[in-house]
Amino acid sequence: MARRYSSFSRRRFLGGSAAAVTAGALGMPFVRAARAQAATFKAGVITSLSGENILGGNLTKQGYDLWADAINAKGGVEVAGERFKVEMFYGDDQSNPATGADAAERLIVQNEVDVLFGPYTSGSTIAVQPICQKYQVPMISGSAESPNVWKAKPEFNFGIIPAVDTTSGMSLGVLAKLSNPAAKTVAVIGVNEPFSKETGEGFRDGVKAAGLELVAYELVPPEGDLTPVISKIAALNPDIVAVGGHEEVLINVVKTSKSLNYRPKALIMHYGVTNPAFAQALGADADGTTGVVVWLPSVSYKDDVFGTAKDFAEMAQKKLGAEPDYTAAGCAASGVVLGDALKRLGKKPALTPEDRVALKDAIAETDIQTFYGPIKFEKDGPHYHDNIQPVPVLVQIQGGKTIAVGPKEAAAADYIYPLPAWK
Amino acid sequence: MDLFLQTLLNGLLIGGVIATFTIAFQLTFGVLHVIDFAVGGWVVLGGYLGYYMVAGLGLDGFVAMPLAFVLFGAIGYLIGPILYNVRNSRTARPELMALALTFGLFTLLRGGMLTAWGFNTRTVTTALSGESLMIGPITVPLIRVAAALFAVMIAGGLFVFLYQTRYGLAIRATAENRHNAALMGVNIHRLSANVYGLYAGITAMAGVLMGAIYSVNPESGLRYTLFAFFVAVLAGLGSVGGAVVAALLLGVIEAYVATYVGSSYSLLAIFTTLFLVLLISPRGILRRGL
Amino acid sequence: MAVYPMKPRWPGLLFLGALLVVLVLMPLLVNNYWLRIATGALMWAGLACSWNMLGGYAGYINFGQSAFFGLGAYVTALLMADPLGLPFAATIPAGIAVTAACAVVIGASTLRLRGAYFAIATWAFAEVLIQFATVMEFTGGIGGLSLPPFLNERFFYFAMLAAAVLTYLLTWALFEHSRFGLKVKALRDHEPAAEAMGINTARVKLQTFVLSAITASVFGAIFAYWVTFINPRSVFGGDITDQMVVMVLLGGLGTLWGPAIGGVALFVVNRLIWMYWGDTAFYIAILGAAIVLVVLFLPDGIAGLFARRRGSTATVLGKTVEKLVDAGGGDRK
Repeated sequence: MARRYSSFSRRRFLGGSAAAVTAGALGMPFVRAARAQAATFKAGVITSLSGENILGGNLTKQGYDLWADAINAKGGVEVAGERFKVEMFYGDDQSNPATGADAAERLIVQNEVDVLFGPYTSGSTIAVQPICQKYQVPMISGSAESPNVWKAKPEFNFGIIPAVDTTSGMSLGVLAKLSNPAAKTVAVIGVNEPFSKETGEGFRDGVKAAGLELVAYELVPPEGDLTPVISKIAALNPDIVAVGGHEEVLINVVKTSKSLNYRPKALIMHYGVTNPAFAQALGADADGTTGVVVWLPSVSYKDDVFGTAKDFAEMAQKKLGAEPDYTAAGCAASGVVLGDALKRLGKKPALTPEDRVALKDAIAETDIQTFYGPIKFEKDGPHYHDNIQPVPVLVQIQGGKTIAVGPKEAAAADYIYPLPAWK
Repeated sequence: MDLFLQTLLNGLLIGGVIATFTIAFQLTFGVLHVIDFAVGGWVVLGGYLGYYMVAGLGLDGFVAMPLAFVLFGAIGYLIGPILYNVRNSRTARPELMALALTFGLFTLLRGGMLTAWGFNTRTVTTALSGESLMIGPITVPLIRVAAALFAVMIAGGLFVFLYQTRYGLAIRATAENRHNAALMGVNIHRLSANVYGLYAGITAMAGVLMGAIYSVNPESGLRYTLFAFFVAVLAGLGSVGGAVVAALLLGVIEAYVATYVGSSYSLLAIFTTLFLVLLISPRGILRRGL
Repeated sequence: MAVYPMKPRWPGLLFLGALLVVLVLMPLLVNNYWLRIATGALMWAGLACSWNMLGGYAGYINFGQSAFFGLGAYVTALLMADPLGLPFAATIPAGIAVTAACAVVIGASTLRLRGAYFAIATWAFAEVLIQFATVMEFTGGIGGLSLPPFLNERFFYFAMLAAAVLTYLLTWALFEHSRFGLKVKALRDHEPAAEAMGINTARVKLQTFVLSAITASVFGAIFAYWVTFINPRSVFGGDITDQMVVMVLLGGLGTLWGPAIGGVALFVVNRLIWMYWGDTAFYIAILGAAIVLVVLFLPDGIAGLFARRRGSTATVLGKTVEKLVDAGGGDRK
C-alpha cells in the first residue's frame, strides 16, 4: 500500500513539474512581447550553425550581422523621419531542411519577427518557403544560389545572388577569351551534393556556349576519395578543369592533384576560392586557382549604409579579421534591400500582418544601387524573384591574394595561363 | 594500360589510408567488445592537433604524430575503464548502452570542437605533402605511401605485441574470455584502459595523416566512423588481419568503379558489395569475425 | 531485467486518459510553433516505438531503420508529384506496400545475421538507398523532391497523433498482450531455446521486422508532406536512425512507454537547448554530455525510474555515488 502511495505521489510530482514547464514555455511569448515595446524591427536569421554546411552558414550570419551593426550604429532604419533599431534573432537549421522549417516557425511565431533572412543552403530555403507563405512573412536570401530555389516561384522569397546556372556557365566563356594559347577542352567535376551539382551542371552547359569541348563530366560523392577521378582526368589532359563544390572538396581537389603531380592549364572553381580559409589551408598551392564571384572589394559600387565596397571590406576586416567574400557581401546587401523597402513602406514597428504583405510588395519593387551592385528582382521566368543583375567576375589567386582578372574591363591584373607545373 | 595500373595503385593506397584508422578499431572491438562511434572524433582531434602544431609552432606534421599518440592515448586511458564498466554493467543490453555512450562522446567532441575551433577546414603540412615519385608512367603520391606504411607498421607492431609479449597474451586471453582472464590474475580494468588508450592514440595519429592527405573540420568525423564500421564488418569484427584485406578491397573497388564506371557510382558499389558480402559470408571475408 | 510489463491500473488509466485529452486539445492550448514541436515529438515517439519493436522486443538492432522512413517519404513525394498527382491519403497504402515488399526481401536475407553484423548490414542497406536516390534521375537526385505545400499545422498534428496512437496500441496489443509478443520475447532471450519450443523464429522475426518497417514508413510519408521538401540525406540519413536508437535507450529498451518518454524527452530537450542556446554550436556539446550522463547514471532508461522501486531517496543517492566512483576509477574493484 505504501509503495503505491509513493509511486502515485511521484507521478503527481512529475505531472506538476510538467505543467510548470508547459506554463513557463507558454508564458515566454508574452514576456518577449512585453519587451518588444521598445519599438525595433525584428529580423530572423535562419542558417547552418552546425552540420555539414557550417562554414557557409557562419559566413551568411556574419554578413547579415554586419548590416545590423552598421544600421544600428546609424541609429537604426529610417522610417518617416524616425529611426528604429534592428534586433536580430537566430535559428540554426543544423544543415537539415526540416530543422530549417522548425526554425522559421519559431522565429515567426515565438520571436514575432517582421522579416526573415534566408538560409545558406538551397534545401533549407526550399523547406522554409512554404512557412513564409503560410504566415505571409517576406524572406530575403543573401546566399542561396541554387536555381531550384526559384523554380517554384516563391511569392515571399527574394534572392540577392544570381542563381549559379547563370554565372558558372558564363565564366567559362570569359576564361576561354583570356587564355592564350586559346583553351579548347574542359573536364568538369561536380560534387554530388546540393548546389555543387548544379554548379557542375552550369559549367557543363556553359562549355558548348563558350565554343569549347567537354571531355569529361564526373559527379563525385562528397565522402569519396578523389585520386581515381583526378587520375582519369589527368589521362585525358584537358586544358581546363572546372569544379563545382564546397570549400572542403575544393581544398582536397588541389591537394590530390598536387600529390598526383597533375596540373591543368587552368583550374576554375566556383565558390570557396575567395574564402580566406581556402588560401590559408593551401598556402602557396592555392596560387593560380581561378574563381567566379559576383562581387569583390575592388568593385566601384557604393551606397549610404556601408559607403563604397572598399569601406564595407574594411569594416568586415575589422569585425571578422578576414576579407569578406561575396556571400558575406550578398547577405549584408540583403539588409540594405530591407532598409530601403522599409523606408518606402513607411510603417513603424511592429509591423501588422498587412504591413508585412505590403513589405513583400515593396521588396519586389526594389531597384537600387548598393555597395554590392545593382539590385532588382526578376518578375517572371525561371529565376523569379532572384536578382540576376550582377555580372560574374573571374578572379585568380596570385601571391595569396584574390585578384580580378576578367572580363577585360574589370581586370586588375593579367591572367596567368597556362599554370606552371607544380614545384 | 597506364590508367589501369594507376587506378590499381590509387585503390591500394585508398585502402592503406582507410586501414590506418581501422586496425586499432578492430583491436578495441576484439578486447572491449565495444563498437566505438567516437572513432571519427579521435581522427578529427588528431588532425586538429597536427594543424595547430604546424600552424602554431611551425613543426612538421609528422612531428605531431607521437604527440597525438601521447596526448590522446592518455585521454583514452581515462575513458577506457568507464567504457568497460558500462559494457559489463547489468543492464538489459550493455553492448547497446556502450554504443550509446560512445555516440554521446562523439557528439560531445563534435560540439566541443565546433565551439572551440570554429568551422574552418584545416590541413596539415608535412615534408611529404604534395610530393610524388614517377615510376614509369605511374605517379606515386608519397604522403599516401607514408600512410600505407604507417598502417603496415601498426598492423605489424600489433601482431608482434599480441603474439610475442606476455601482455599481448593477457590481451588475447581477455578477448577470448574476460572472466577466465580475470581469474588468471589479469587486471581487466587496467587492461581496458591500456587498450582504449592505445587505440585512441593510434587513431589520433592516423588523424594527423588524414589532415595531411585530405583536410579536417569538426564535421568530418562521421565519414571516418562510417568507413571504420564498414571495413570492420567486412573484415569480420575484431579481426586485425581482415581489416587490412577489407580496406584494400574497398579501396580497389572504389578506384576502379570511379575510373571505369563513373565516380558517382563508387559509394553505391562499395555499400552494395558490403551488403552482399555480409549476406554471403556473415563473419567477414576471411570468416574470422567474432 | 529489461521488461517491466505495465499492467494498467486505475491511476495509470486515469493518467492515460488525461494524457489523451491533453493531446487532443493541444491545438487549442498552444501556439503554432509549439504545435509544430508537439508534432515533431509525436513523430519521434512513434519512430522510436517502431525501432523498439525489433530492437527492444526481438533483440535485433536495426541500424538502417531510416531506410524505411525514407521509402515512405519518397513514395509519397513521387506519387503526389506531377504525372500522377495522387491525393495524400492514397499514397500511404502505396508506401506501406512498397516498404513491406522491400522489408520482406531485406529481412529474409539479413535476419540470419546476429548482433553487430545485422546492425551494420541494415546500415549498409540504408546507405545503398541514399546512394541510389542520389544517383537516380526519377528521385530528383541530390536536389530532392518538393511536395505541394499544405499549410495546415493542425492537420499534420492530428495525422502524427493518429499514427502515434495506432503505433502504441499495436505495440501494446501485439507485443505486450498476445502470444505473438511472448514468442518474440522468447526468441530475444534465447533463440535456440525458442526454436526448440517449436516457435518458427525465422517467421516471427520477419513479421516483426516488416511491422517495424511499415510503421516507420507511415511516419516518413507524413513527414514528407509536412516538411514539403525531401532529399536523400534528409530522410535516409543515418542520423535519423541514431536518434531513434538513442531515444529508445534513454527511455527504456523493450518497454512500451520507454520509446515515448525517450523520444519526447530527447526531441523536446534538443529543441529547448537549440532555442535558448542555439546561437552557437555549443548546444551540441551539451546534448552529447546529456547522453553520456544518462548512460552512466540511468542505464535502464527513464522508464526504469518508474518501474524500479528501490526504496527511499537515500538508497538511490547512495547507489548513484557508488556508480560515480565506479565509473571514475577503474582499479578499485
